Amino acid sequence: MATYGMALDYKNCINCKACEVACKEENGIELGAEKHRIWVGGNEPDGIWPLLNAASAAFMPSQCQHCEEAPCEEVCPTHATYYDDNGVVRVDSDKCILCSYCMNACPYDARFVDSRTMTVDKCNFCSNTRLARGETTTACQNTCPTKVRIFGDLDDPNSEISVLLRTREHFTLKTHLGTKPKLFYVM
Amino acid sequence: MEETVKKFNIKELRLKDVKEFIASIPYNKITIKDLLSFEKTTTNKIIAGTIVLFLGLFVIGVLMYLMHGHHAYNVTREHPWGLLIAVYIFFVVSSTGLCIVGSLGDVFGFKDYMLISKRAIFGSIVTIMAGFAVIAFEIGHPVTMLIYNVISPGLTSAIWWMGTLYGLYLTFMIIEFIFLLKNDMKSARTFGLIGLLVGLAAHSNLGGVFGFLNARTISNGVFYPTYFILTAFITGIFIAFIMMGFRYKINFPKEVQTMLSNLAKIQGLLISILIFFVTWKMLTDIYGGMENRSEVAIHILGSWTFWAEVILAMVIPLYLILKSKGQDTKKLFFASLSGMVGIFFMRYNLVHDTQLKPLQMMKKELYQLPPEWVHYFPSAAEIMISLGGLGICLALYYVGTKLFNLDSDTHH
Repeated sequence: MATYGMALDYKNCINCKACEVACKEENGIELGAEKHRIWVGGNEPDGIWPLLNAASAAFMPSQCQHCEEAPCEEVCPTHATYYDDNGVVRVDSDKCILCSYCMNACPYDARFVDSRTMTVDKCNFCSNTRLARGETTTACQNTCPTKVRIFGDLDDPNSEISVLLRTREHFTLKTHLGTKPKLFYVM
Repeated sequence: MEETVKKFNIKELRLKDVKEFIASIPYNKITIKDLLSFEKTTTNKIIAGTIVLFLGLFVIGVLMYLMHGHHAYNVTREHPWGLLIAVYIFFVVSSTGLCIVGSLGDVFGFKDYMLISKRAIFGSIVTIMAGFAVIAFEIGHPVTMLIYNVISPGLTSAIWWMGTLYGLYLTFMIIEFIFLLKNDMKSARTFGLIGLLVGLAAHSNLGGVFGFLNARTISNGVFYPTYFILTAFITGIFIAFIMMGFRYKINFPKEVQTMLSNLAKIQGLLISILIFFVTWKMLTDIYGGMENRSEVAIHILGSWTFWAEVILAMVIPLYLILKSKGQDTKKLFFASLSGMVGIFFMRYNLVHDTQLKPLQMMKKELYQLPPEWVHYFPSAAEIMISLGGLGICLALYYVGTKLFNLDSDTHH
């Protein structure tokens, strides 16, 4: 029993996309631009050349926020989307009817259809793969060359993520929606 | 031993009762020949041909879906709900509307409206069946849905409530219709009232499916659950005009004329309220200052489908109602046809507009070219299944007119 979350030291991201590749490889995600559990986004730099604001163009890795109050879980008609014992938002593909309500309800665009099972898929912090094997890191974290991602137990005050969140300023995405994300962007 | 015999007898008695009850439902024995024996006018031939064509398209569309799954549809990660959801809504709104119109006479006791009750309730059954036929090919796993809807109900989900209540609603509508056929008005009233309440609850939950989306500011809130009930009533009256128009070849007897004029006056009021609702929704959307909402509303104002909805479902019918003070029922028959096309756009718009604004999780530069707006146009399979739904609806209704006496017993 834990409460898993992830902190992203996003300014270290160099957009190598190794995390995306590792995620697809580890979790057997389909190929194709639409089929991704995680992604590295980027903002256009502010300003007009040559007076560009380099800091504004930081890369922003993102994924399912594993919200404490997940809209996708609330709207699922068959409890196919559920919180596991570790607070991870997961999909039970046996129960998924593919009504796509969760895809519309998720404010983070974190869900897609796996066309092999014709059910909705999303990040589950490698719960079926690495965590199930007893490992303590996710594939995206493990592969990141600049150590952007820190995954761990938010309930454990001595975990790396808890220490980091105590010592560094951070923010969450679309906080105003009241979803209480467990993905933290450290500044 | 004695007890076993007694139980058996009770069972036999109940079964017998049920059999007797079913056997006593009045219906006409018809053959395929009867179905083909309609008046061979050009209009009838065109309608019959269209129904057969639509049914054929349905079969082709379903085959495409069975071969390619959701790949046969143009739905995407950004636009997961497409035309089939809009058409499902179109049919269930029609059903709820017909239930409301049918209830005016047999539930609320307005005698003038009794003569359409049976026809409207039958219409509500065939429209929801057409809706279910369409949604069965949109939901990825309809059988799983039937199982897990029962053993793992998601009570916080508006879709669960909507689906479950619509299932119950169909049952009550069928029971009400049977009692109407048997001319048992007391039982029809009881089941009609329960069916109406369940139908209204189901329908407002369908609005709630959109109203609960806090990620989609254009749809979030109380508007859709209430607006759905209003537009259902409007749709019901449009279809009442269309059904009666075909029944009497737009040459209405006096009592039908009276009923339709009264319905037209109600319709005038309802459309006026609808225009008021939509105007205020647009004003609050544009000037309400909520993130992402005003730009979506302005974009909607610039789309031709929105104006198709406004002109066909609101302006034309309201103008013709006001011009003749609801008396020119012939023109209002054609206005109702225009109204139903407008209602289709209304449903399409609400589904599409909800998903217009990309959620933009900072993927815009690298994953998709600047998606100012999410684009969607239905695929051939989606269009074929949708037209097929209309074909199923019309075919079932036609069979019903042959199989049952849908006219009021007091009238004939």
